[in-house]
Amino acid sequence: MSVASVRKGDGMSVASATTGHALPVAGGRATAREVLRLSRGHRLRLAAVGVVGIVGTAVDLIPPVAIGYLVDRVRAGTADLGTVLTVTAVMVLSGVLGAVGTTVAIVHATRIYHTVLAALRERLVSRAMLLPQHLVERAGTGDLISRSSDDVTAVADAAPAVIPALTVTAFTVVVSLGGLAALEWPYAAAFAVVLPVYVLAMRWYLRTGPRVYRAERAAMSARAQQILESQRGHATVLGFGLAEHRHRAVMTNSWGVAVQSLRARTVQSMLNARLNLGECLSLAAVLVVGFVLVSHGSSTVGGATTAMLLVLRLLGPVNQLLFVIDTLQSALASLSRMIGVATIPTVDAAEATTPTGPTEPAAPTDPAAPATAVRLHEVAFRYADGPLVLDGIGLDIPAGQHLAIVGPSGAGKTTLAAVIAGVHRPDAGTVTRPCRTAVITQEVHVFAGTLRENLTLAAPDATDREIRAALDTTGAADLLDLSEGALDTVVGTGGHPLTEAQAQQLALARLLLADPELAILDEATAEAGSAHAERLDRASEAVLAGRTGIVIAHRLSQAATCDRIAVMEAGRVVETGAHDELLTAGGTYARLWAVWQDGQHISANR
Amino acid sequence: MSNSSRAPGADTAGLGRGPLTRWLPVLLQAPAPPREAPPYEAGAGITPGRFLLRVILSVKRVTVPAMLLAVVWQVGESAVPVVMGVAIDRALATGNAGQLVLWLGVLVALYVALTMAAKSANRLTSYAVQLVQHRLRSTLSTAVLHPVGGAARAPDGSVVSVMTSDVARLANGVLLVIMPVSRIAAIGFIAVSLLATHWLLGLVVLLGAPVAVWLMGVLSERLSRDTRAYQGLLATTVGRATDLVAGYRVVKGIRAEAEATRRYRQASQETLVGARRNAGLLGRFLAGSGAVTGTFVAAVMGLAGWFAVDGRLSIGELIAAVGLTQALLPQIQSIASVSIPNLAGARAASARVIDVLRGDGGGGPRQDDGTGAEVALLPVVEVAAPGVTIRVDPGEFVGVRADDRTAARLARALLYPRSCGEVEVRLDGLPARELTAQEYRSRVTVAPHRVTLFSGTIRDNLTVGAPELTDAALRAAACDDFAADLDLPVGEDGNRLSGGQRQRIALARALASDAPVLVLHDPTTAVDPVTEHAIAVRLRDVRADRATLLIASSPALLGRCDRVVDLSEDAPLHGRTVG
Repeated sequence: MSVASVRKGDGMSVASATTGHALPVAGGRATAREVLRLSRGHRLRLAAVGVVGIVGTAVDLIPPVAIGYLVDRVRAGTADLGTVLTVTAVMVLSGVLGAVGTTVAIVHATRIYHTVLAALRERLVSRAMLLPQHLVERAGTGDLISRSSDDVTAVADAAPAVIPALTVTAFTVVVSLGGLAALEWPYAAAFAVVLPVYVLAMRWYLRTGPRVYRAERAAMSARAQQILESQRGHATVLGFGLAEHRHRAVMTNSWGVAVQSLRARTVQSMLNARLNLGECLSLAAVLVVGFVLVSHGSSTVGGATTAMLLVLRLLGPVNQLLFVIDTLQSALASLSRMIGVATIPTVDAAEATTPTGPTEPAAPTDPAAPATAVRLHEVAFRYADGPLVLDGIGLDIPAGQHLAIVGPSGAGKTTLAAVIAGVHRPDAGTVTRPCRTAVITQEVHVFAGTLRENLTLAAPDATDREIRAALDTTGAADLLDLSEGALDTVVGTGGHPLTEAQAQQLALARLLLADPELAILDEATAEAGSAHAERLDRASEAVLAGRTGIVIAHRLSQAATCDRIAVMEAGRVVETGAHDELLTAGGTYARLWAVWQDGQHISANR
Repeated sequence: MSNSSRAPGADTAGLGRGPLTRWLPVLLQAPAPPREAPPYEAGAGITPGRFLLRVILSVKRVTVPAMLLAVVWQVGESAVPVVMGVAIDRALATGNAGQLVLWLGVLVALYVALTMAAKSANRLTSYAVQLVQHRLRSTLSTAVLHPVGGAARAPDGSVVSVMTSDVARLANGVLLVIMPVSRIAAIGFIAVSLLATHWLLGLVVLLGAPVAVWLMGVLSERLSRDTRAYQGLLATTVGRATDLVAGYRVVKGIRAEAEATRRYRQASQETLVGARRNAGLLGRFLAGSGAVTGTFVAAVMGLAGWFAVDGRLSIGELIAAVGLTQALLPQIQSIASVSIPNLAGARAASARVIDVLRGDGGGGPRQDDGTGAEVALLPVVEVAAPGVTIRVDPGEFVGVRADDRTAARLARALLYPRSCGEVEVRLDGLPARELTAQEYRSRVTVAPHRVTLFSGTIRDNLTVGAPELTDAALRAAACDDFAADLDLPVGEDGNRLSGGQRQRIALARALASDAPVLVLHDPTTAVDPVTEHAIAVRLRDVRADRATLLIASSPALLGRCDRVVDLSEDAPLHGRTVG
């Protein structure tokens, strides 16, 4: 699998790139290339931003020069009311024009920034959706979630600090230094002498700051985690009388943040002290240079005033730039994590959508064998370097047949379903399946949105009538009575809470709308309390009617209704046959059935 | 306080200090947590503003020194241009080297003073903010998240954002008595210095500065409102991405990648529109405030220039006036664009915190109003529902078979014995709502159906009871196959374990609590029948002389109970008790 090169970039991204299975992080050059590519179409505007920004900051230089001019005229005794009015008018005009110029630059830069970010985050999500599922499963969906949420937020939130710094502030430093050099070059030279103080301060800050800030952020997320767990597990906290215990955990983490925050602020004030040293030295340099120049007659008091005002004007932006470096750095780290996913080559991504992987030479809809929907030949699979989870599995499922897979925990049932569905690629053997295969896994997710949105996810063009019909078929019509909104009832995060059973009914209705050739139900009804089991069993049957089906069930009643049953043990299929045949055979299935019957029997007799 | 050691060559504080300074003590490094964090009162009738004031005033001991130091700092900053102006006038204009040395000394002294003051002010300020945050969190934690008696209703998700972001915003209100005060002091200093130069200049600043602050406040208000709206939009987009990725397997399972991407793109584009509008408003604010301050400063400078032409001001005074006016800018800008939004944000957060404190979830830290009656160490528990009373004696293992809704109602009544429902819980004949919460919880442990594991190791999750019981509990819950190493982390919300494993750990936790009365609600729904059978066999023994109430529909589990009370819809006789 060729994955975008995982290169050790700056300090921030190394941590995420070192774990072997994590999704790729773009290196510095790849990040730059992608940003450049995304900026295509905005280049003219970017150039305009540059020009307007430089002009705006240059206009901002006029007031100090005007003041210097006024000082010299007053000293020479040649100033009158007209001079004062002219100078004031020039200052007002240049002040307003300068403000407008820098504003235009910032506004346009901000808009370009957000447009590029939107394009990038959309690309990230669409690429993430197309990624081969085994890649994502290996990295964990948490990695993908943090990139599409935390990293997107980090880059967006950096905008107010980063954009003025990269446009106006940087221009101000350049233009002011340039102006100082042009008007009174010895002062600029004096300022250059102070530069090493700033360079040292910056190096110290980059060495110390990020570590301290990372610790602060880590403490904050640990604190949020504790609070979230107490809220989520409120019933557990209450039921076990853990209130005091949890309160202490939250408060310990709360003070942990306090300690880290104070450290971070300490580092900031240490940086401040270093910047103040730079300021003090710069101003002292202006005085000393001015003294020498004025006493030699090569500069005027007005010139010294201009230089002082220019240096004072420089100090703010220089400080701002240093303070922004840290934000800039972490935004860049987030950016390379986003780009790392967004630029995974499409070859890999496309492969995930086509049901035929490289190990599946047979065409999915092989006209030679129209009767066989699924064919597994000598399939073996292991997770990474672990032991074989599936071993020499051969299985033919004729079109329209319903196959149940049963067996004890850890027998490999879920893995087999995943291999058949194409989630995992077998290490050996071949898998053939229909093009339109759909799976319901144990994980039932209700999307935040309306019931309709949840259902049309699989069939965007479905009409309300079709949706209602699907809900009827799966016996989930009472979902419409949750609130007056019927199909517009908001469910999922922040919406109307659904029970496990309702969420599973919703998933089944969704599957029905997707209308696949092969439906794989992996313990889709296992989580429900058994009181609802019968209802969900009927819903599953309704969903499977008229198509090929694979059911992985813990409740053997569900298996008994299937056409054929495959019994798995330790990664192998040990028995196959119809329910009655297997009972007669007296093997593993018969034993499982006896245990199951035993339980039923007890309850039936009582 | 942990100061760095005096050993040279070791930067123990981890603050990147060189060998020259690392022996110095660091003020307020890793302070001990406050010994007590008394809750803030949010009684009826308190307004958000008053609550904010109460919070701000609660740390006077730290904020007052911080404020005084901040005044020194800000006035010092404003004095820099004055010192420079005087130095140019006295030293440069005259060519007097002695004056140059003198004023260089003054400049350095000024910087030393203002740097020291800034350092201490900043650190005291953040200490005050952290103290307030901690106390607010403690208040919310005891009143809403972990009320002693248990609230009538579980706190909803909003409590998480209130306890993180809103607490932080409200605590930032503390800054209001520090930074704006010091900035106003600095503006006052500038005005007085100008008054001393020429009364009219001072008057213009005294009258003009508040107007400029007000104008910029008006300009910034719309922007900060829109910024909050935009941040909401961004949160929605990010939330949608999280939601889609969290449902990744579902999307993949039904091949809905294209539709999912389309929906995300839609949300993302809406956010982009918001971001662009927000940038426009930012522009209006920047241009507006730039024009206001630029004009104001130019007017003051022009006036000073006229006085200089007129001879009423010396050159030195003109330069100082120019410097002072320039120093006015950042002070005005900062009050308008930092302090005013800070006040608005803190007030809004204060309102939300009060809402949560007063919400029907908590109702404030309610005092235990039990009668103080005591029940036996191993009480008899009775659950009285309409038409049936379920009685469990010590040492008995009673099953209840019920439909989902009834089961949930019973479990809820046992979890919240004080909520007024039609189910009543009694211990030794005493209604549970007359017992103190502590008394009730020390007798009755309820293991809810929905499993929550807390981040940490398996052991962390088990040792809510006595540690020596864990082995038996783990065996009874059939955890032997995966829980050999108890120091294995379970991951966030137990995500490193499978559904069945999570459920078995939760069952082991319940059994390890060795509670006098244990209520189990559908504890094995995600467990395969063979394992469930094993659990059913062992469960009875581990609860030998305790009372256990099992609400379940699994025949295997119910089959091992001493008695089963059948409340299900299809039971022949409603409320039939079978022995």
